[in-house]
Amino acid sequence: MALSSDKKPAQVETTGHVWDGDLREYNNPLPRWWLWTFYATIVFAVVYWIMYPAWPVFKTFTPGLSTLTIEKDGKMVEVPWNSRNLFIQEMQVSPSAVRQREFVEKVSNASFEQIVADPSMMAFARSMGAGLFGDNCAACHGQGGQGNLPGYPSLADNDWLWGGSFATISTDIQKGLKGNMPAFPTIQGAALTDLANYVLSMSGVETDAASAMRGKAGFAMCAACHGAEGKGNPMLGAPNLTDMAWSNIDVVGAPTVDAKRKMIEGVVSKGIQRQMPGFTNRLTPVEIKMLTVYVHELSGGQ
Amino acid sequence: MTMSTTAGTVAGAQANPVTGKAAAVEQYNYDIVKKFAIMSLVWGVLGMFAGVWIASELAWPFLNFDVAEITFGRLRPVHTTLVIFGFGGSALFATSYYIVQRTCQARLWGGRWLAEFTFWGWQVGVGAGVLLYMMGFTQGREYAEFVWPLDIAITVVWVAYFLVFTMTLVKRSQPHIYVANWFFMAFILATALLHIFNNLAVPVSFTSLESYSLFSGVQDAMTQWWYGHNAVGFFLTAAFLGMMYYFVPKQAGRPIYSYRLSIVHFWALSFLYMWVGTHHLHWTAIPDWTSTLAATFSILLLLPSWGGMINGVMTLSGAWDKLRTDPIILFMITSLSFYGMSTFEGPLMSLKSVNALSHYTDWTVGHVHSGALGWVAMITFGSFYHLIPRLWGVAKGMHSTKLIYVHFWLATIGIVLYISSLWVAGIGQGLMLRAFDEYGNLGYTFIETVTFMHLPYVVRAIGGMFFLAGIILMVYNVYMTIAGAKRSVEVDVTARSAAVAR
Repeated sequence: MALSSDKKPAQVETTGHVWDGDLREYNNPLPRWWLWTFYATIVFAVVYWIMYPAWPVFKTFTPGLSTLTIEKDGKMVEVPWNSRNLFIQEMQVSPSAVRQREFVEKVSNASFEQIVADPSMMAFARSMGAGLFGDNCAACHGQGGQGNLPGYPSLADNDWLWGGSFATISTDIQKGLKGNMPAFPTIQGAALTDLANYVLSMSGVETDAASAMRGKAGFAMCAACHGAEGKGNPMLGAPNLTDMAWSNIDVVGAPTVDAKRKMIEGVVSKGIQRQMPGFTNRLTPVEIKMLTVYVHELSGGQ
Repeated sequence: MTMSTTAGTVAGAQANPVTGKAAAVEQYNYDIVKKFAIMSLVWGVLGMFAGVWIASELAWPFLNFDVAEITFGRLRPVHTTLVIFGFGGSALFATSYYIVQRTCQARLWGGRWLAEFTFWGWQVGVGAGVLLYMMGFTQGREYAEFVWPLDIAITVVWVAYFLVFTMTLVKRSQPHIYVANWFFMAFILATALLHIFNNLAVPVSFTSLESYSLFSGVQDAMTQWWYGHNAVGFFLTAAFLGMMYYFVPKQAGRPIYSYRLSIVHFWALSFLYMWVGTHHLHWTAIPDWTSTLAATFSILLLLPSWGGMINGVMTLSGAWDKLRTDPIILFMITSLSFYGMSTFEGPLMSLKSVNALSHYTDWTVGHVHSGALGWVAMITFGSFYHLIPRLWGVAKGMHSTKLIYVHFWLATIGIVLYISSLWVAGIGQGLMLRAFDEYGNLGYTFIETVTFMHLPYVVRAIGGMFFLAGIILMVYNVYMTIAGAKRSVEVDVTARSAAVAR
């Protein structure tokens, strides 16, 4: 520090005051560099006040000399500097904003099919979709849309509970979804075990074959939604039970056949109530469109 | 350890060993200073433990254990309240009571019980406050989370403190008021002002702990940060400068560098601090002119803040040789360095363009800790190592000088780890949040910034652990010092009574 250029303290008089036996004060002058730097900050502040909105004056304030040029009604106009005008200007001229606006216009006027067919629009959809998915969907469905069982289905496989067309995905993002399977608490004991074994056997899990055969009759009740073959029904959000893509319970991850069966018994007894929120009020139409394309592509789409 | 022998004796602490009565030497009320000093360390350990815990929760979230009382949201105000008001506040009570008595050569005004009231009032207030936070009762105002009945109780305690301090000044037997006392006076007055206005609220009912702020919207935000920043300015800066102005020249055995500088920077600091709170609200719904004033006054504040650092460093500058032998001087010079650094960083961050990057990131948290750990805690440690042996009348100083060195290095390494990791976390996150890709879309999702911060968060937690280990060592050292003092008095008494018996 350039403090040493100041006079040696020893050559300076103290103020003559003494406290607590030995507390004294030298009367050194203010260090020059300190004083001049302080003056410099004052100059900085005054210039700042002249340039920008600064001091309140009755019901208004000094607006400052600084101005911004923005486009208003097709004309370039000079406006006072303030953060609102600064924001308007940024959105008009910053390269990122300009680039994004070009693409937004392009994809707004294109159909889903046109977007998918156009590599540059598709690249834009991936870019915007990834951000939107990460900030809005990933908390439940996982960063890569891999899902999070129990409860949150995978969006990355080709198994669609509610249908995987562009139109359905878009509607589901906007309106949200309510998944509801009624509980069947009256099915108990051997009947429950048999039914669960039958359901397991549908997706090829090796289980007690005799019990599964007995359970087939009980499945008639389930068939109303899941279909006689257990192939599911996207109109009702009823999943296909014959593939290994479990959307609510982690049957694949369960270590033993017994544990798998217990999971299914749990669903039969308690039913399923789950809900995905709608995003109409949180995302713009273009954002929902881009997110739709992104989610559609995650799974290969339908 | 070299203890500069002071002309004023340490006799105030020494009770007459034969009669057991405090002799004529009971010139000063040291009992209250001892109590506050001990509680400062107790709250310090608890508060820093809470800090390490929540820092660890950020790095390893399972540490929540799904227990509401120990989640980050509840423990964060517990941490800030314990370290600012418990540790820092008690240290300020202790040192201000010590300094005002010794520099005025007057015993504390108000007799034994008024000072005692400030002690119990403050401790119960802090303790009740943090228990209520953990139960979920908070006013939701940063650094002022106390519920309204506690706010009122604290006001009463503070008025008592004001009276004890001011009236002691009034009845001083010294012609001049020492500079340290100016800073304590400013701190007491400003804190009263801030506390009262920020906490103006309408209780839901007299039987409810909940209340509504008297202010709303932008006014409420500005009131909160007027309070918040001046808590930093007057509680954590001016008051600790008071501490510095006494203990640095005492420990160095040298006069203050410049009386003139102390006057100029005192008034500049007091005047300028009150304007800058709004820099915590840049780029929000506040009027632009408030933003400008806050930014420019923050820049104006740089040199007045540095005035204190210069006065401290230049006072020590004739005693550089002591750096080799006196770890207390090491604490003091390091605290002044961190003070200089964080009061440079602060004005920088208050500029709107820098703030656009730093705001809402951990850069802010790192900045606060370079001031809080580097300045506030380090100057307190240094002052306490000077103070404790004198309070208990131990002529040879602290129990172990080596442990003071170990504490110094633990604390310093801890701070460096803490600040540098949060620079990485904060600036990194700031850059990620504002990054656009080639299509003009956001470059990163929020969760990607969180993933990025995991490693810096781990380093930060480790830094905190270093710092906590340091204060735990200090507590041991203080305990041994006091226990040693008690033992030697007992030995003395036994020897003397034996002599009397003969």
